[in-house]
Amino acid sequence: MIFQEGKIYEHTFTLTQEVYDSFQRCSQDRNPLHTDKTFAQSKGYPERVMYGNILNAFISYFIGECLETKNVLIQSQSINFRKPVFLFDMLTFTAEIHGVYESVNTVEFKFIFANRQDGVMIANGKISISVIP
Amino acid sequence: MMEQDNTLAKVQKIFRDVLDNEEITLNDETTANDLEEWDSLSHIQLIVAIEKHFKIKFTSREILSYKNVGEMLDNITVKLV
Repeated sequence: MIFQEGKIYEHTFTLTQEVYDSFQRCSQDRNPLHTDKTFAQSKGYPERVMYGNILNAFISYFIGECLETKNVLIQSQSINFRKPVFLFDMLTFTAEIHGVYESVNTVEFKFIFANRQDGVMIANGKISISVIP
Repeated sequence: MMEQDNTLAKVQKIFRDVLDNEEITLNDETTANDLEEWDSLSHIQLIVAIEKHFKIKFTSREILSYKNVGEMLDNITVKLV
């Protein structure tokens, strides 16, 4: 198994206009909290709140593109959205291999997204992947 | 024998948690064909949960050799000695 328990990965993601527009097009979610600044402000937010599931798309990139091998498949993932994210926020994604189960070619990660500016945790969760032989 | 029953009870709880079905009752003869929720993905989740709970490691060869839950329980018991 090429994955070792305890290994830590780090990547920076940015909530760019292109990411926001692409996700909105893909999801077709036009809830005003995500699209209308005035509405978002009426609910106590300074700006439109970004779609939380953009973070899941970032996880997809991490698993698909940043690991030692492309022979991987996501089995499951869970995420807790702790704080809202806004347009142009830069996020530090840190993932640690929490378990390696060679008998079933499975690797588990624990991850955290933190705001790069102030270090505050935005989201955390777990990912389980299959390593395709 | 009592130890095997104890292991069965623990494994049954893991099956109930992972497969999200409190009505599952395991015995030595139980196979994947007997439980609708026991598919290829949940099989992986079951093995991972059992390895974590008992702090043991299976090999892929061992897993492929089990004909039923009873054979898996035998193997777990051997690893716990």
